Amino acid sequence: MTESQGQAIVRIKDLNKFYGSFHVLKDVDLEVARGEVLVVVGASGSGKSTLIRCVNGLEEYQSGNLEVDGFRMPRAEEREFGEVKGLRDIRRGVGMVFQQFNLFPHLSVLHNVTLGPIRVRGKSRDEAEAQAMQLLDRVGLRDQALKYPGALSGGQQQRVAIARSLAMEPHLMLFDEPTSALDPEMVGEVLDVMRELAREGMTMMIVTHEMGFAREVSDRVIYVDQGRITETSKPDAFFDNPQNERTRAFLSRVLKH
Amino acid sequence: MTTFAKSLRWLHVNLFAKPFDTGLTLIVLPLLAWVLWGFLDWAIMLADWSVVLSSIKVLMTGLFPVEKLWLVWIALCLIAGLTGLASSTTMPFGRNALLAALALVALSLIAAAWFDTISAQTALVVASFFAVWAAGSRSETLRANLTGIAFGVLITVLLVLSPAGPSTWGGLLLSIVLTLTAALLTIPLGVLLAFGRQSRIASLRALCTGYIEVMRSVPLILVVYCIWVAFPLVAPQFPLPDVVRGLIGFTLFYSAYAAEFIRSGLQSVAKGQTEAAESLGLSDMDTKRIVILPQALRVAVPGLVGNILDIFNYAPLVFIIGLTDFLRAGQMILANPENSGRTYEIYVFLFLVYFAVGSVITFQARRLERKLAQGARK
Ligand SMILES: Nc1ncnc2c1ncn2[C@@H]1O[C@H](COP(=O)(O)OP(=O)(O)OP(=O)(O)O)[C@@H](O)[C@H]1O
Ligand SMILES: [Mg+2]
Repeated sequence: MTESQGQAIVRIKDLNKFYGSFHVLKDVDLEVARGEVLVVVGASGSGKSTLIRCVNGLEEYQSGNLEVDGFRMPRAEEREFGEVKGLRDIRRGVGMVFQQFNLFPHLSVLHNVTLGPIRVRGKSRDEAEAQAMQLLDRVGLRDQALKYPGALSGGQQQRVAIARSLAMEPHLMLFDEPTSALDPEMVGEVLDVMRELAREGMTMMIVTHEMGFAREVSDRVIYVDQGRITETSKPDAFFDNPQNERTRAFLSRVLKH
Repeated sequence: MTTFAKSLRWLHVNLFAKPFDTGLTLIVLPLLAWVLWGFLDWAIMLADWSVVLSSIKVLMTGLFPVEKLWLVWIALCLIAGLTGLASSTTMPFGRNALLAALALVALSLIAAAWFDTISAQTALVVASFFAVWAAGSRSETLRANLTGIAFGVLITVLLVLSPAGPSTWGGLLLSIVLTLTAALLTIPLGVLLAFGRQSRIASLRALCTGYIEVMRSVPLILVVYCIWVAFPLVAPQFPLPDVVRGLIGFTLFYSAYAAEFIRSGLQSVAKGQTEAAESLGLSDMDTKRIVILPQALRVAVPGLVGNILDIFNYAPLVFIIGLTDFLRAGQMILANPENSGRTYEIYVFLFLVYFAVGSVITFQARRLERKLAQGARK
């Protein structure tokens, strides 16, 4: 799918972000279309996480413009005084899956998944639980609903985390290296769930080092180098015929093993 | 292995494993035996415990009017019930507990028949402890609402006791009321202070930090005394009884410590937890209340229980504002020339009761810690 086909759900224009005096993201321009699967790759420390964390407001940006689903994300100076209303409106429509899962360890799997729908969407407990069981079924964890996260394997925890995000019925899902903290034998089960989501037409921004998976599911790949997007291509072009010298060097490094 | 062989093995491992252990054991064990023998010899042969029996009312309730003592019994039943409910959250009521309940109730009835100063109401207090423990073990709803019930019980206890006039509260009753009130109030106050100390609003942060640091750098007795003196000057239109002013002093002082335990709990919660909650769109308040605080309190529990024990053990300091707590009540009895030879009996009794209550608190705390640790396995 190209940008001209779908209407953009994420619009980033001239975005700049600093940590103190350190310039992390530099003049970033990026649009993500509805239904698109965008994969973000780049060397460690290049700013991939920072970029996708900006999209749901976990990180503030200092200049430029960032719009999600028609809402403009408030800039750092507008957020100095605590909670901003627009921010929560964006967040409830954007799912986020973290490298470290970040499940709530004191709540059961079921409760993890129902918390958002009940407290944010105002669903009744029964309704939320029915939906949660459906989602847990979808990620293959129906029988684990009453366990606590600590009793699950890493791969299972990450699948619960995906179900928890999906329960909010998001328009956009962000994944920050969802399989990097997993033992190799569990990577597949998480990627399968994500593959399924892509097939159903979920809009996704994925930071990953799984190059085979990236090539298979993505509609577009961007390469981030020292806070700049230096390459944007279709997956086949990106992997077979990278334009940029540094992209080539990066790919030869990660594809070797 | 036979029991005998097992005991030999236990002795070997625990007491005689190395030459140094053996030496220590050979010195310590006889010493302990000698002290214990001396104590028992005195306690059974020489001591005259009648002074404890004859002054039990003053020791337990101070100057509480005798004709209103039934109010104290109601309050005690409520407190015992609350303790029973707390027990049910950490230990299910089993067959052993049932046997213990029957035995203790029977024992207190027998004791009531034997000594006229121990009334049959004691059996009622014991029974309410076990009854609520059993009920709590059955009912998920009761256990889930422990916090709310605890505050309800606290308020009821204070209301039940108030017709006698707070100035008459004394003895162990005062120590317990003081501990219960301060312990329950310091936790919500501590939570507010701890969050305030992390607030984005600089003035609030400074205020909370200042409060905590000041309270932690002055002695308790000074705070209690200052509040007692200052209150009538600041708010002469609200003449509060000494007991209430003492309670305020204890609560304000120990809130600062509770805040620090809770703050270290808050710091132990990974940043990813807040991020995950925010990503779901949870409000600031929900994030703190549902996600962060329960995890923080888990870490803070040992410190908070230590705080409760401190409150109980430092309660005697209320003598400085003229109140008669348990320890002070003992001293008052000794001040009576009639009892002049019975110093040891009274102090041994005080010691044993303090030890018993303190042990109950630490025992419950250890169960609670163990239970919380189970749910938190990452
Ligand atoms: N809170 C922070 N304060 C200061 N610098 C930070 C902070 N977080 C990240 N950085 C810096 O910003 C840069 C980008 O970090 P980011 O986490 O976005 O990189 P990344 O591309 O996701 O790397 P990785 O592949 O290792 O996850 C890094 O140089 C990092 O050191
Ligand atoms: Mg990263």
